[in-house]
Formats: sequence, C-alpha cells, structure tokens
Amino acid sequence: MNYKEYLMPVATMVVAMVVSANVAIAACATDGLPDSMEKPSGFPERALTMIVPYGPAGGSGQVAQAMAQAVTDLTGVAINRDHKPGGSGTVGMTAFMATPTDGYTVLEHIDDASSAHALDSGRPNPAEGLIPLVVSQITFSQIYIRENEDRFTDWNSFVEWVKAQDGKATIANVSKEGSMERVTMKFITDATGMKMQQISFDKGAPRYGALAGGQVDALFEQPGDVRKFLDAGKFKPILTVLKEAPAAFADVPSLKEAGLDFEPLFRFRGFYTHVGVPEDRVKWLQWAFQKAFCQKSYQDFNESKYMNLIESFRDTEGAKELITSTIKQYRDVYKEMGLEVK
Amino acid sequence: MQSFSNFLDGTIALFSDPLGILIFLGGVIGGMLFGAIPGVSMLTLAAILLPFTAHLSAEHGIMLFSVIYCTGVYGGAITAILFNIPGAPENAPTAFDGYPMTQKGLAGKAVGAAVMCSALGGTISAVIMMAATAPIADWAISAFGPPEIFALVFFGLTVAASVGAKTLWKGWLSILAGLMIAVVGLDPVGGIERYDFNMPYLLAGIHFIPTILGFFAVSEIFVQAEKKVTGVYKAPKLSVDFPSLAELIAHKFAVIRSIVIGFFCGILPGIGATLAAFMGYNEAVRWSKQRDEFGKGKLEGVISSETANNAATGAAMIPLLALGLPGGALTAMMVGVFQMHDMEPGPLVFLNSPELVWVVFAAMFFANLSILLIGFLETKTIINLLRIPFQFLAPLILLLATVGAYAVRGLVIDVVVMFVAGVVGFFLRRSGYSVAGIVLGLILGKIGEQTFAQAMQMLHFEWSGFIGRPIALSLLIAGILTILGSIYGAFFKRSHTEMPEHQG
Repeated sequence: MNYKEYLMPVATMVVAMVVSANVAIAACATDGLPDSMEKPSGFPERALTMIVPYGPAGGSGQVAQAMAQAVTDLTGVAINRDHKPGGSGTVGMTAFMATPTDGYTVLEHIDDASSAHALDSGRPNPAEGLIPLVVSQITFSQIYIRENEDRFTDWNSFVEWVKAQDGKATIANVSKEGSMERVTMKFITDATGMKMQQISFDKGAPRYGALAGGQVDALFEQPGDVRKFLDAGKFKPILTVLKEAPAAFADVPSLKEAGLDFEPLFRFRGFYTHVGVPEDRVKWLQWAFQKAFCQKSYQDFNESKYMNLIESFRDTEGAKELITSTIKQYRDVYKEMGLEVK
Repeated sequence: MQSFSNFLDGTIALFSDPLGILIFLGGVIGGMLFGAIPGVSMLTLAAILLPFTAHLSAEHGIMLFSVIYCTGVYGGAITAILFNIPGAPENAPTAFDGYPMTQKGLAGKAVGAAVMCSALGGTISAVIMMAATAPIADWAISAFGPPEIFALVFFGLTVAASVGAKTLWKGWLSILAGLMIAVVGLDPVGGIERYDFNMPYLLAGIHFIPTILGFFAVSEIFVQAEKKVTGVYKAPKLSVDFPSLAELIAHKFAVIRSIVIGFFCGILPGIGATLAAFMGYNEAVRWSKQRDEFGKGKLEGVISSETANNAATGAAMIPLLALGLPGGALTAMMVGVFQMHDMEPGPLVFLNSPELVWVVFAAMFFANLSILLIGFLETKTIINLLRIPFQFLAPLILLLATVGAYAVRGLVIDVVVMFVAGVVGFFLRRSGYSVAGIVLGLILGKIGEQTFAQAMQMLHFEWSGFIGRPIALSLLIAGILTILGSIYGAFFKRSHTEMPEHQG
C-alpha cells in the first residue's frame, strides 16, 4: 500500500482532532449569540443599577463585580453596584422590588431566594415573580477536614469516628435553618446514621478558622470558597456532594461512591430583572448578561472560583427550570423536616 | 532581630513605591481631616473609600485603612476638644476635660497634648504590635475559639459598665439597652427574624455607625441648640498655645499607665480603643491627687484618654490579623478590604502574605510619627473652625452626619436610626445615662450573642464545658470579679468615676 494512502486519512484525522479540540477549548455556552445587539429605542441610555443583597467582599459581591465588569466591557454601559446586605438577602430583594420596572435596575441573588420562597410563598418566586437573565455560577459542596488530621483520613474513617463520638463530633456550617447547607447535612446524617453537632458560623473567616485551629472536626463548604486553603495544603475534601465526582476531585468519593442516595442541592448565583419590563428591553438585558458570561474576564473569574467544574450557565429558561425544581425539592424536604411551609 | 529585619523590608517596600507613598500621605491627611471635621469621622472616609480599594492592590488598600485608623483616632480628638463632639466613641473621654479647656481659652494646649500623646501612644503600640503579633498568631486559632471570644466579650462588658454613666446602675442599664438593640434583626444562629415589626429593612439589624453618629454628633447639636435658644450658649475662645515639653514630662506616669491600659484594651476584640480611652481616663482620675479638677479642664484628662486610645490602635491589629476579629468599626471595614482581595485576615495572612503584613506594620508606625509632624501644622488651621458661628456649623454637621449614616449600607432606615438616637441620646445624657455604654453594648452584643451560641453548640449546651477551657474560664471569672468589685465599690467606697457635669 502506498504511504500516501495512509497519510491522507491520518492527516484528516489529525486535522479533525485539532479542530474539535479548538472548538472544545473555545466553546462557551453563549458563543452562538450575536456579538452585538442594537439597543431597543436607545435603552439603556444611562447606567444600570445592580442591587446586590450581600456585602461587596463575599461570594455574591465578587460575582456581581465580575459580571458588571464583563457586561460593561461588552456593551459600554456602566453598571453601579448598590450593596444592600442584611436579612439573608431579604433587604436587597425588598429594595429591588420597590424599584421601577423600566429595566434599569437588575438584581443579583443566590439560591437563598429560592429556599426563602419554598418556606414562605409570600416571598418572591425568582422563576415567576422575577425574570432570570442568567444563572452564571452553579457549584457543589464538599466536606473538608484538616490536611494534618490523624483521627481520620478519609470519608469512611470519618464516618466511623463520628459514630464513635456519640453526637459529640462537630462540623462548621452556616447558620440559617432550612439553608442549603443545613438541608444537605440532614441528607448526609440521615443516610449515614451519623450524629453531628453543627456549629453555626454565618461568616466565612471564622468558619474556616474554626477548622484550621481545631475548634471543629470538619467543615461543610463549597470548593471555590476554600480554594486558598486547598491550594495551601491546609484542608482536604473527603466527600463531594455530587452524584459523580468531577475530574478535579476524581480521588474524592462522590455520593454514589460513598453509598449515599439523595439528590444534591446546588449553590447558584444569577441575575434578574422585573416582570413588567418592556419585552425588547428584557431581550437586550438577556443578551448582555448571557453574552457577558463568555467574556474572558468572567470566564477567568469563574475558573478562579472553581465554578468551571460543573456547567455553571443557565439561560432564562434553564434558570427557571433550575429554580422551580430547587423550590420543589426544598419544599418537600421542609415538610419532611417538620418546618412550617407557608 | 527577625522582626526588625521584616520591619526594614516593609519600610523599604512602602517608601520605594511612589503610589504607596501617595496613598500613605493621603491616608494620613484624610484620616486626620475626617477625624477632625464634625459630623464625619474616619469611618465615613473608610466607608466612602471601601469600594475603591477594590481597584488598589491588597497591600495598598489595607495599608490605606490602617493609616486612616491611626490618624483618624487622633483626628477625632479635635472635634471632641473644640465642639464636645467626639469624632468617635474612643474620643469621648477626651471631651470630658478637652472641651472645658476650650471654653477656658486653652484649646491649643488641649489639642497640642492630644497630638503629642496620640503620636507617642500609637508609636509605642505599633512597636509592641510588631514584636508580638507573629507569636500570638501562631497559637491564636487553636487557643481562641468561640468560648474564649465570648468570655473576652463578657469581660470587656463588665469593665465597660463602670464608665461613662453617673452611677453604676445607669452604666449597666446603658449597656443592657445596647445589648437589646443588638438583637434586632436576624438571629445569628438560626436566622430567626426578631423585632422587625414587619419592616424588612429592620431585618438587617441596627448598625452601630448611625447609632454613634446619632448619640454623639446629633444629640450634641441638640444640646448646643438648646443653649442657644435659652441664651446660655457661649462661643468658645480661640487659642493656639501648645503645651510646653515640661508640662508633658510632668505627666509621664499618666502616659505610661495609659499606654499599658490602651494596649491591653486594644487586644480585646470588639472593644479596642473606646474602652481604652475610658479606662485610661478613669485610672488617671483614680491615681490623681487632684481628682476634683477632672472634668473641669485638666490637661491630664486629655493626655490619659488620647494616649490610651492611640495605644489601642496597634493592639487592635493583633486580634484582627491573628484571629480575623475586628476590634472596632474601622477594623471591621478592614476585613472587607481583605476580602475584596480574596484574602481573609487571620493567621493565614502571615503565612500567605507576610510582605503585606509588614508593609502595613511599617505604615502604621510611620503614620503615628506623622501625627506629630502634620498634626501640629494641621491643628493651627483646624482650630479656626471655632470661628464658624453655631447656626452655620450645626446644619453642616447634620448634613455630613446624614450622609455618613446613609453611606454605610445605602439604607434610609440608618438615617432614621441616627436621628432617633440623637433625640434619645439628648434625653439620656440629661439623665446621666451613658450613650457610649449603649454603643458598646450594641457592638459587643452582636459579637457576644453569636459567639455565645457557637460556644454552647461546641460545648454541647453544657456550662461545665467552660471548665475545660482555661482561657475562657479565667476571663469569665475575671469578669465576675469585676462585677462584684464594682458593686462593692458602688456600695461601700463610692470610687466610681462620675461623669463630669457638662456631659450630663
């Protein structure tokens, strides 16, 4: 056989591989959207306001800053961030609902808005009472121990040790009853038969300090929030609260590998506008925020926060599905927990 | 020697960077000015600058805030002395003697003493901080958990109750009022909504900055306005005579005592400079042979208070850097600066960013020295504020205070809180309650409630768990002894320091 007969298909295959690899590298969820979009009747002709229901320093503050910058880079429209922290997001939501429905005010919010509605239907349903423009961060949780821990070293030895403590073992968690963290811990303790004392820390720094200083035995957190401790070799994950372990944590047991059978809950952050905003303005905002998700600056930001390990993007319809299913899941769990669902 | 070498490295890094020098000087002057301008404070400046620090490097942002902290604590003394409006709670005792000195035409002496003693207290505190922070950081996270922090807060509260009010009981009632205000909003453990009266904005709780502005600045305007209306208002006399060196040397023991007190108090998280100033002042009264002269314009009162509150600035950086625990409002904002740069104050900062820590240390050291140089130059200008007629100054103070209250969280309710606190403070001061005590109760109450709940969870809701934690137990016992001692003093010795009449 002539070597050219071999060369041709091999070359074709190599080219195909290179092309597909490039596509894979370059592919981003909203690459298919147009690079620009005409402003409907001049909207927006002034800066947008983004209400952020949390402080500028936390995860929400940071994602708001990154998204606002990406939208501005893309469209040239400035975005003023207005932080209104307090009340687990209630203050910011209330302030947003009081603003005009002209499209000039957008809201950043997290899954707490969904769980709040699940518990009290008087609170706005983010899928129906608001219009999701984009969900730009979706992440999962893990359980961490100190790297130099010698009482247990992995998930199985941890479970065994906790059971031997007869309810005295401690885990640092966030405070709010009915939160994603609390509900997930209930799933885990119910499934394993562990009894643990959850210590409520509503701020990250003391929560992480408690594990680093040996004040608690373990920590429940999302990987992006403790990345610096992971990179510094201070903490190590022993359980990933996902059905299948992502490649970055391939050696950490997933729910399936740990024999835990429940649907994991996710932490997600997104951006919303009012119901009642003129349709053409909504379309422009959807384009701007969804397209901004694929701006390099935003992608770099998400990567730095481990927000690229699972698909972090949802468009309006995808966000509605995510929120609706999350609300249903929370509501079922709350009823099971005996919480009063209004 | 390692610390000295690190300090030199920090100094070189600070002064070899033109932008760093610019930010340093901006912080020094800005802190002094905002501390000195009535109605606003270093906190207002910090709140305004906070979002902009995102565009600075972490070193520059944190250095800026630490410099503002050092010079702002001093700057607040100016308004306390000139207008009886403390720039911050830590300057409140300065007003006890500083304001009467102004009324006697000795404003220059009082401000000059504040400049020198603030610089001295702050510089020595910075030196001790540099020598002590790193070792503390090594053991802090393992030694200080929620039970220990709660015990520290309890201990701080027991001392705080003995200052500022006319009687011990009014002091305690003031503290308890502050603690009650602290529970408004979501509970820090279960997220339970409390005392919101169906107003969503109250879920965010009552913030201490508008409360401070109301209790101190707004209520003082009401006090002065009342005097104006009733015809007893007297415009203060103007003078720029600074104290002589001999006058200051004569008070060397008061300076040393206040440095020790200030540094110790500064280490207590959530208390810091405020308690330092009150305790420094109180101890000056206790050890003086001329007790009757305090509150009537005695230089030692200003010296003791200002030395102590600046001595607390360096010390307050220890719980912030070692534990991630802010010692007061400004150090709380510094946490925000850290987090904006994806960092958390705490021992990991020493591990991950030692260069940042030493640039900050060097900046604080030189900021305190700068108080001496710039303070004297600035003072001669600022004293001329006394020339502004009250009817023009008062609206300006109210305007600036309103902006300052709103700027903290962008909530109108904070402005409402400020004015309510102003009215309530006006009446409370007339009846001998301590508005500083209320503010302390509010600040410490939030920290104390959270750490108490965490401590009880960690100790499995068994009080006996504190016995197994020697530091927490010692602090709790010391706090209880302090309460017993103050009760004994109130009944049998009458040694309690009464608030000077003009404050009532």
